[in-house]
Order: sequence, then structure tokens, then C-alpha cells
Amino acid sequence: MWGTEWPRFEVIKQDTQHSPPQMVGSVHAADPEHALLVARHVFVRRPAAYALFVAPAEAFFHVSQEGLKDLAPRREGGPEEAYWVFAKRSHRRSMVYGDLVGRFLAQGPEDAIAQALLQAQGVAFWAVPERLVVGTEPTEEVVESWFAPAKDKRYRLQSYYGLITAKGVEDA
Amino acid sequence: MVKLRIGYPEDPDYGERLAEFEARIARGEKIEPGDWMPAEYRRQLIRMISQHAHSEWVGMLPEGAWIPRAPSIRRKLILLAKVQDEAGHGQYLYHAAETLGITREEMVEALLSGKAKYSNIFNYPTLTWADVGIIGWLVDGMAIKNQTMLAQCSYGPYSRAMVRICAEETFHHKQGKEAVLLYAKGSRKQRQMVQDALNRWWWPTLMMAGPHDTDSPHTPLLLRWGIKTKTNDQVRQEFLNEHVPELLEAGLRIPDPHLRYDEKTGNWIHGPIPWDEFWKVINGEGPMNRQRLLARRRAHEEGRWVREALEAYAQRQLAQAAD
Repeated sequence: MWGTEWPRFEVIKQDTQHSPPQMVGSVHAADPEHALLVARHVFVRRPAAYALFVAPAEAFFHVSQEGLKDLAPRREGGPEEAYWVFAKRSHRRSMVYGDLVGRFLAQGPEDAIAQALLQAQGVAFWAVPERLVVGTEPTEEVVESWFAPAKDKRYRLQSYYGLITAKGVEDA
Repeated sequence: MVKLRIGYPEDPDYGERLAEFEARIARGEKIEPGDWMPAEYRRQLIRMISQHAHSEWVGMLPEGAWIPRAPSIRRKLILLAKVQDEAGHGQYLYHAAETLGITREEMVEALLSGKAKYSNIFNYPTLTWADVGIIGWLVDGMAIKNQTMLAQCSYGPYSRAMVRICAEETFHHKQGKEAVLLYAKGSRKQRQMVQDALNRWWWPTLMMAGPHDTDSPHTPLLLRWGIKTKTNDQVRQEFLNEHVPELLEAGLRIPDPHLRYDEKTGNWIHGPIPWDEFWKVINGEGPMNRQRLLARRRAHEEGRWVREALEAYAQRQLAQAAD
């Protein structure tokens, strides 16, 4: 062991201004700012990004289908805070972990997920306190400088090559 | 953090839990990190996913060597993008393995110490530019066959990584095919170069699918638990049926005198695969095994100061926040 493993940050990507932020995977980084930079390299090599968010992986509360039946929301009259809740809605093949269901004021992550369950069905849920989520700013300048360069790199897309056949190359 | 729920055969409720687990897989449900899973399911997944991640990282080396020598700016940009993708794919996969409770550090240490395996194919040298095309078309072609199958995997995080990787790999395959076909229809020297590359990469590519089903001890369990959804021989057959006609149409000779088309099954049947070579390479005696590991270790060492500087920066930020 080198003892230099950075903490893990979950990465949340929003493809367009009107699409829901989605959990896409994680990166290791020294702090949230570093995590955002690494996340851009790992998850935004191709077009389709409007915003990126990161939050420490250890701050996420996760409950899977098996655990949902035992979910016990705590409502003890304590202070509330905002949580982002994500849901994986079905077992269908997908490249994302969960879509953002919404933002819920709750006394704990279990409570936040219980509230989300009133709005959305799912086979797995994640909740994270909003105060720990750090994201790119939704200003035109930031969106342009962070995400526009990927749009010019069309050679990364399979559609750029069209249909390739020996005959086609011969005729070209 | 996700709490893992691992079952062992000696647990009193193991039989009952295993039956429920297998019923979920039979229904096509994905197993998620917080769900109960047999210890052996977790072990097999860690073995497979980490090997796969290591392969992506080591796989950057043979092609990366050609970035400075690419024949045009367009080709250089494409190759840079492809190699960068391989690094990203390694990241997706290491993340998927981490959901099973193993750390990134443990996996990287296993790779650098030589304890962990990675795909044999990357222990071969890339001698000419045509090798880069052949890797894209054939090596990535075989990888896509395997990855498309793994995208159906019963473990959610591995399946998701594979869906993302497959979407990106298609460009690797197409750019390779384009490069090979251009050379196959090019000058005499270009044709010789691409034929020579095919001669050298053909058998190692077929070996990528793994030993024959009769010699693959893990396969029955991996199929039973939906980690794999096709056998090694099935994946290899799909690759042959797609690529052989296209290679022949391009005017290339496949270096297998026994290769034949079976009218009855509609399959291309290959001759004997040189498995002695496969085992030699897997046991460290391939042409590039030593160089590949040396390169990874050197990269890790040369990056040490960056990791340490960022760590020191993070510690200082924490200390300042505490004040």
C-alpha cells in the first residue's frame, strides 16, 4: 500500500439544461475541485454535458431493492436538511446508476428516500446531503469552457465513420 | 457507503438465500452492491472486473507508442482519443470493482507486483503502423463481442460500465477497419504491411476469447450466475462469422490453412489454436510482458510526486478549515 489513495467522489452528470442529473460513476480526487476536473476527463470525452456535480462517496446513503422493505425513516422532530435523492427505476440495461428524483427536506437520508418513494418507483435509491454536492456553475462561460470543446471532436463518434466496406474504400 | 452483504456456504441460511439470489438472476434482475450475494460471486466479479480494468490500462501502451509516429494529424487525433478512451474505460471498471469492497490501491498494487493478470493480447509488440489498424478492427472487434455479452451481466455496476464502454468502443472498431481497408487497397508496400500485421495478430486475437469451453473451469458457474451470458467459444464464433468475410473481401489472407466455411451451420470454422503460446504468454513469457509491467511501474513512480503534492494540498486545506 502506498497510503496515497485519494477519497472517492461520486460523479453526477447532467446532459442538457432540461434533463435530470444522473449518477454516472466515481473518481478518486484530493478535493471536490480536483474531482470535478478528473470527472470531466473521465465522463465528458464526448458531447452532451451541461453540468457536472461531485459529492464524497462516503456521504451517500444507498438502499437496494432488497433493503427497501426494511427502510425505516427517522422522523424524530430534529433539524431538517436538503437531500438529493436518485433512483434507479428498473432493471433495464443502462449506463447510469440513478436519475435525480428531486430535492427533499428531511431529517435523514432514509426519510428523504421515503419521501422520494411517494413520487417515484425504483429498484435502488441513493440520497446525499445537498451541502456536500459541488458542481460546475451553470453560467454560459463555464458551460462553454468546460463542455464545448468535446463537440468539435467528432472523430470520437462512430457516426463520423459511416458505413465502411472494402468496396466503399475501393470506390473512394 | 454501501454495506456489503456477503453469504458463505457455512451460513445457516445460505441455501435459502442462494435460491432467492438465483431466482432474481433468472428473472433478469440486476444485483446491486447492497444486495445479498454469495462470496464466490463477489470473488469471481472482482477477479474478472479488475483483470478487465488492468487490460484497459496496459492496453494503452502498444498503441500509445504510435501516437508520435502517426502518419497524419487526423490519425494522430483519432489515436489520442482512442488511447484516452482506454484510460477512461479502466476508470469505469475500477469503479465497478470498488463497489464490491476492494480498493483501487489493492488492485493497482496487484497489477504492478505482477500478481494480477491482464489480457494476453497486450503482451505483443506493435511493429508497424498497420498494427494500430489491426488492433482497432480485430482486437477491439473481439473485445466488443465480449463486452456486448458482459453488458447483459447480472451485476449492475459491471453491466453499466460495459454499456458505456461498448458505446465508445464502436468508434475504435470503425477507425481500425477504415485504416486496414485503406492499406489493403493501397500500395504494394501498404498491402504487405497490413498482411504482415494480420499474420502476427490473428491467433492472439482468437485467443482473446479465452480457452475452449471444455478447458474453461470458471465458465459453468459464471453462466449460472449471469456474470457471463455466452461461452468463450460462442464469443469467438461470433467474431469469426462477422470478421472473416470482411477480411477476405478486403483481399487479405487469413493465416489459418484449416479455416473453412461450414454450410450446414453457417459458421466459419478455425483450425487448431496454438494454445501452448497462450499459456506461455499468460505465464509471463510473452514478447512484451516485462516491458509492459516496467512501463506501468515507471508511470506509477513518475506520478508519485503529483499524488503526494495533491495529498499535501488537501491536508493543508483541511488544517486551514479546522483553524
